[in-house]
Amino acid sequence: MDAAVLLLRGALVSYAAGSLAAIVPWRRGGKGRSALAPGLAALGAALHTGALFATGAAVGRCPLVTLPEVLSALAWMLTLAALLVWWRSRLDAVLAIELPVAALVLLLAEVLPEASLPPGVGPPPAFLRFHLTVILFGVTALSITFAASLMYLVVDRALKTKRPIAAFRRLPSLAACDRLAYRSLGVAFGLLTLGILSGAVINGLETGRPWTWRPEETLAILAWALLGTIVLARLGWGWRGRRASLLMVVGFCLVLLRMLGL
Amino acid sequence: MAILLYGLNHQSAPLDLRERLVVSDADLPGVLARLASVPGIDEAFLLSTCNRTEALVCGDPAAAPGLGDFLAAQGGGIGRAELERHAYLHVDQAAVRHLFRVAASLDSMIVGEPQILGQVKTAWALGRAAGTVGAVLDGLLQRTFSVAKRVRSSTGIARAPVSIAHAAADRAREIFGDLAGHHVAVVGAGKMARLAAQHIAAGGVGSLTVVNRSWQGADELARELGGRAVSWDRLYDVLEGADVVIVSTAAPHHVIGLEEAQRLGRARRGRPIFLLDIAVPRNVDPRVHALENMYVYDLDDLKAVAEAGLGERRREAEQAEAIVDRETAAYLEWVRSLEAAPTIVDLRRRLHELGETEMERFRGRLGPLSEEQARALDEFRTALLNKILHHPTLLLKRAGSRPEGGGLIALLREAFGLDAPRAAGRETEAASGESQETSKEEIGKQGTRA
Repeated sequence: MDAAVLLLRGALVSYAAGSLAAIVPWRRGGKGRSALAPGLAALGAALHTGALFATGAAVGRCPLVTLPEVLSALAWMLTLAALLVWWRSRLDAVLAIELPVAALVLLLAEVLPEASLPPGVGPPPAFLRFHLTVILFGVTALSITFAASLMYLVVDRALKTKRPIAAFRRLPSLAACDRLAYRSLGVAFGLLTLGILSGAVINGLETGRPWTWRPEETLAILAWALLGTIVLARLGWGWRGRRASLLMVVGFCLVLLRMLGL
Repeated sequence: MAILLYGLNHQSAPLDLRERLVVSDADLPGVLARLASVPGIDEAFLLSTCNRTEALVCGDPAAAPGLGDFLAAQGGGIGRAELERHAYLHVDQAAVRHLFRVAASLDSMIVGEPQILGQVKTAWALGRAAGTVGAVLDGLLQRTFSVAKRVRSSTGIARAPVSIAHAAADRAREIFGDLAGHHVAVVGAGKMARLAAQHIAAGGVGSLTVVNRSWQGADELARELGGRAVSWDRLYDVLEGADVVIVSTAAPHHVIGLEEAQRLGRARRGRPIFLLDIAVPRNVDPRVHALENMYVYDLDDLKAVAEAGLGERRREAEQAEAIVDRETAAYLEWVRSLEAAPTIVDLRRRLHELGETEMERFRGRLGPLSEEQARALDEFRTALLNKILHHPTLLLKRAGSRPEGGGLIALLREAFGLDAPRAAGRETEAASGESQETSKEEIGKQGTRA
């Protein structure tokens, strides 16, 4: 087993353990803030960074060509984003939501076949890398929207049922969840728009048509349209609340499904 | 010497008895002076609040009956038998533990309430100013403050809301976070509206508006809370701009109905609103709570939150009790370690005297010494003796902290030809005027070196 695989498995174990360390005390609503979950997440990110470098050295190129490589990079970025938000807000709930997603994405990266992305006769590699990079950053920003929207739904539910759950006390206010969700959605939507446009250009260069109506393309445009509607509704008439948060969660799930190639 | 705590509290005595024993801050110095003059008492501290009056003293254990007489006299005609039925006496470990529990708010009527620690600190400051709180009680009370802070910071006994106003302010913060930039509207100017608004405004709000059918009532309350008054016909406009609305009017019907709320929701463009309906009968249609971004809490809802908070505090109190037990044991161990102090002082003095005598004896044989050589020789002697004393000192401190350590102390005294410990300690204190503080200081220095 080579070093890259070993490091990647170490990262996967760290993410999984970090998820448990974040979820268990958060669900119980304990008051002590533990450094275990962020520590494990940081360890996982460090191992993952090593794995990305080792993979790059082994294949002699940027490890962002095959689907498992793209998913691995996505899991790495999700963890870094979660750690960044945790560092700024000390919200364990963000780790409890983001780390399992990162672990799942990395697990799929491990089990998926090594199928390459379409080789792309038309677009130069640099343009393809630009497309993948903006998509990865867009999905990472959207994962923050997803975490903030889930937290919003939990707090809203607790306030509506008037029966606070144990985890309730360790969540931010509704207003804070809303701010985080919409700021990250703005960034995510901008980047995903760039990603969709660059994807259309790549399609055009490869097939002569910008849009081929393949299921994965339709899923991507559906998710993008959904997110665009939420952004417009917010900007136009201040739409927010439980339904908007639910749609943001759905939007992230659709984008993630597209990324996983399902 | 013993630490005694004698008194009564809200659990042991009815209000009519407690109120007869209350001592105001102004009267406390005089009362403390009388308490300290009770035979057998060296130091005295008195804590008197609406929920308790407790005398904490340091002195002869036989002084306990005198404390009862003192409190009975203080109560102005309370019979001794009646007092005995409601009072309690705690000695040493139990007294320390009780004091820690009181300051940590574990013995309060509402567990976790914050006032008691401030009351204990005030009583301590007054006791120090009156000169009745000396080294022993001062050390104990300072330890008490750190225990209370530790209990509050490492458990949740003070976190969960236990009053309706507290629960309402908590809900508002759960929706908006910090209320500093938010607008609060008060609909009605009655007593309940006033109390709730005072509690919420105390945490800092962006702006506050009072709407009332009577302009005079609105104006008075607005002035009191630092807000502005608005006439009743502009109620809807005020609601449109408000984030938190306290509704408490005498109207027998809904002031904010479902249709108005729906219209309000559209006008507010989805901004959340917290409607605190503390009127009876209710002034806000309960169906409004089902609308998106509208949260309506009435008195029953807030009462349920407060009761849940009380339950949570009780659960947290178990953890707090464990901290108090550990801290009590640690404090008593420290106190016991001080009992070895006279022996440590005697031992150090004895060895340094021996060193000095022997040095004088041998100085003649060494011939004339330069000033530098003489100083080096003195430093050598001091360093050697300190090294020899290091382990016996640690041993004595450890022996002092154990109940069975007396045998070891006696053995060391015999081995080094010291006097009997207690007699020697007291004679030394009496003769030289050195207090126990001096001994503590020396031990502290030795401990630092160790």
